[in-house]
Parts: sequence; C-alpha cells; structure tokens
Amino acid sequence: MMIPTMARGSWLLPCAFVGLLVLAIPPRARAADDDPRVWLEKMNHALATRNYDGTFMHIAEGGRIETMRIVHRVEGGQVTERLASMDGSGREFVRNNDELTCYLPDKRTILVEPRQEHGPFLGSLPQFGAGVNEFYQIDSLPGTRILGRPVRVIAVNPKDQFRFGYRLWLDEKTAMPLRTQLCDARGNVIEQIAFARLDMPDSIPDSDLAPAVRTQGMRWVRQMPRDSASTDLANYRASQLPPGFRLTVAGAQTLGGASVPATHLVYSDGLATVSVFVEASSDERPASTPPVVPMQGLTRVGSGFVFSTVVEGHQVTAVGEVPAQTVEFIAHSVKAYGVGEATGSSESAHH
Amino acid sequence: MSEQIREQVSAFLDGELPSSETELLLKRLTRDADLRGSFGRYAVIGEACRGAKNVDFRVDLCARINRQLDGDAAAAGTRFGAVARPQWWRPVAGATVAAGVAVVAVFALQQRAHTPTFASVPTVAVSSGAAGNAARPALVAMTPALVTTPGMPAAFGSREPVSYTTPSALAEPTGTFATARLTNYVFAHSKYPSLLGQRDVLTDLIVESDDPTPPSNREKAP
Repeated sequence: MMIPTMARGSWLLPCAFVGLLVLAIPPRARAADDDPRVWLEKMNHALATRNYDGTFMHIAEGGRIETMRIVHRVEGGQVTERLASMDGSGREFVRNNDELTCYLPDKRTILVEPRQEHGPFLGSLPQFGAGVNEFYQIDSLPGTRILGRPVRVIAVNPKDQFRFGYRLWLDEKTAMPLRTQLCDARGNVIEQIAFARLDMPDSIPDSDLAPAVRTQGMRWVRQMPRDSASTDLANYRASQLPPGFRLTVAGAQTLGGASVPATHLVYSDGLATVSVFVEASSDERPASTPPVVPMQGLTRVGSGFVFSTVVEGHQVTAVGEVPAQTVEFIAHSVKAYGVGEATGSSESAHH
Repeated sequence: MSEQIREQVSAFLDGELPSSETELLLKRLTRDADLRGSFGRYAVIGEACRGAKNVDFRVDLCARINRQLDGDAAAAGTRFGAVARPQWWRPVAGATVAAGVAVVAVFALQQRAHTPTFASVPTVAVSSGAAGNAARPALVAMTPALVTTPGMPAAFGSREPVSYTTPSALAEPTGTFATARLTNYVFAHSKYPSLLGQRDVLTDLIVESDDPTPPSNREKAP
C-alpha cells in the first residue's frame, strides 16, 4: 500500500524527535533503567507506597490453588493491608501500622502480633548489595504481556542449593509484580502467584479493609514480643552457617500458648531468612505449665521447611522459606556460648 | 477438566487470557473446588512442560505427561488426584503417591524441592559437626569456604575455614509436629521472612486449612 508523502513525513517527525530524546539521555541512565536491580527497587517502592486491590491465584507445588484478594492502602502515612482467602479456608490477615491480626476461622482462632516491620504482604526485595550478588544471579529475561500489559521479566537465581530463587513479571508502567514464581536452585517452580485482576485506585474505602470473618466465639491468642529470655537461652547461637548467612536479629519472644519466652534468632543472606527458636526445656518451665512434647524432625511449611531438634535439653526449631538442608544445617549447629562470647556487632536487639 | 478450561488455564498462565475471560475463570475457580485442584496440578506440570527456563528433566517426563493430558485427560486427572498435597503441619512422608506417569512427574518435582542434587558439588570430606550435637546425622561436607559467623568466639566465628555440610540423605520430611506450635513458629517467623518470602509464609498459612488428617495423627508424640 502506498503511503502518502505527507503521512510519511508526519510519522517520521515524531520518531526523529524521540530518537533525539533517547540520544540526549546519558548512556549510563539508559543502562540503569534496564538494570534488573533498579526494577526490583522500583517494585519495592510500588509495593510499599501504592494503593492496590487485586485478586491473585496462589498455585502451590503439588497441585493446589487458592484464590486470594490483597488490598493495600497507604493514606496519611498509615499503611493498612488485608490478605484474604476467597475460597476454601476463609482465612484472613489484616495489618495496620503496628499490628498483624490473623483470622483462622477453621481453627476458631485469631492470632495477634505487634509488628515493627512494615513490609507489605506481597513482599518486597531488599536493596541488592554486593553480598546478595555473591549468592544470587539477577538477570533480565525477554519481556512479555500479562493482563494486557507489557511486563519486564526478572530472574533471581540462587548460585547454590541453600536458597531459593524467584522469577518476577513486573508491570512496565507501575513495576508491580503481576506474577511471581518461587524456584529452587535448578529453576523448578515451587510456587507461583499470578494476578487475575489488579487495580491501583487513588483511594480505598475502610470497608474493603475490614475482615469478613465473624469473630464471635473465636479464641484470641496474642503473641508477646516484649520479653526477655533467660540468660541461659539467650546464649544460644548457630556455630556454623551456610555461605552468606549471618545473624541479623537476636531477641526473645513468647510464642502463642507458651508461658516462657523463647530466644528468637534470625539469620539472613540478604534475601532468604531463617528464624531459629530456642525454647526452655520442661525442667525450666513453671510447674503450672503443661508439659510440652519435644518435636524432632523435618516438615514442610508451604514452600519452606521447619526442622526441630533438641540441643542440650532445649527445643531448637529452624523455620524458613529455604531448602530443607538449610534449616537442618542451621538448627543442628546451634549451641550455647558463655556469657560475653555471643555478642557481636551484627546483632540487633529487636524487642 | 474440559478442553476449554484447559485452554483458558494455559492462556492465563501465558498471560494471554482476555480480562473478561479471566474474571469468568476466577469465578469458576472460586466456586468449584475440584476445578481448583485440577487447575493447580495443570499449572505446576504445565510450567515444566512449556519449557520454562532452567527446568531440567533428566527423563522425558514432559512428553509422557503431555500424552496423558492430550490422550486421556480423565485418566490423568484421576491419577493426579491421587497425589497428596504437601501439608506443612504433618509429615510428608505419609503422603505416598500412587502409580502413574503424571504422579511420578509431580513426585519428581517435589523431590527436586526436597532433595537437592549435589552431583556438581565436590564432596571432599566428612564433617564431624559442632560439638554437643550428638544427634546430628552423618553429614557430607561440601564447598569448603570462608564464613564469618558474627558474634561467635574466634574458634567458631571470624573467617575460619569451615566445611559446609548437608545431610547426605534427605528423602522426605520426617518430623512429628503439633499444628498449633508450628503455626506459632511460622507466624512469629513471618515478621522476618525474606520479604518476598513473606508472601509465601502468609499465603501458606492461609492455604493450609483443610487438612484432612485427624489431629490425633498430626499431633502424636514422637
């Protein structure tokens, strides 16, 4: 088909203008815009600061799908968030600035826990430093379209077997993750989340953030974080760690239903995180406390694992969204140190 | 699962399903528990069979699965249905899988998640592990390296060569756990997950609800 000369001219003019604009952008800026790390930071920012209301499918390894709704509102510096199952369990999580409430209607239980961290339910990635780069390979993959929107695909691949990786499909316009996959070191998909709908409204009414669960007759369990563990428990640490993991938090926490605070240690490689709980033995618990049966062994927690063992009479449990050998490795290496030995600059008391 | 639904599922995961049809699919999934199960099984298997990057099948399971899906969808669905999904508060060891190609494929995927292969990692020594861990299983050392364990005494911490170890045989999760205690651990951990992982932890807590295993079996003392 012949294109009229004028039409061709009118088409070329804006192209030339755009070309000049592109040339005017410093190469370093263009390279930065293509840097997958920059996009991951954009995603962080979007997840933490934008209003969004979406429905996604959570598809677990082994053949299970659950439809969930996520509502995230930032208003006047206050963050309120609701994550709800739309089928099946009817479970819901509601978080405001300083408290997370977990409604478990099928268990007739509500868990409440003060939270000082403000990470969104959908999660975000930390800023990638050299330490993270040492253990993860971050690449851009060819883009595609999801929900009719062009998306940028980023792969975060672990370099060893001690951690999982991610694949993320980020909306080119908003940097919101429209699809995420959790993968093992070989790239096999363990779990994935795929949005079926995602709106980003200017405002979200309170009613969209209110739990739909009827709480009458349910048992409330409040996690008590502001405790201190006994001196004995406070001296437990992992003596060996998988490459890249380090102690980031050490504190005490009274777990739901417990009367004695446990030591809560958090080890992280900057991306993956493992919690270690060291609990008092039955001998150290108040006589009025019902006896606790020690747990030992490995079990699966969704995409992660829990490993429990007994060290010097204490229950040691490692929990993390990491491969099984990582929680087992860390739990097995936990041991007691003398007073003064187990304090280091990288620890930060969180309670 | 009808051919139409399968096509919709495939299109959705490829990002090619129109929004109007996505809404309809979503409504059907919300109403139909059987469909949710089928969708999930298809999604996991399909991910591998569509040639997802880095997916490594050492045996040609995909072709066999495709034959099952294409030629005998009903039978395949029945076989898939025999797979017990992982329950995080009960030992997965009990989740034995039935015979069938598709089941083998799902099991293979699970095995990859549970049991890493260290074929490419040089095995160099046997580690004795830390003192005081009499119950520690036999460990095979891998990838000797330097590590810093902040806050540890010199003997254990600062840039000391150590052997990274991993269980030599870790076939299936084998713990005996109480539901409530595990929930408490996971809930407390959800404050400090790997950020993206927080989504996994909490969505897993939401998902793990209709455990058919009686509490008496799940909370049995070791």
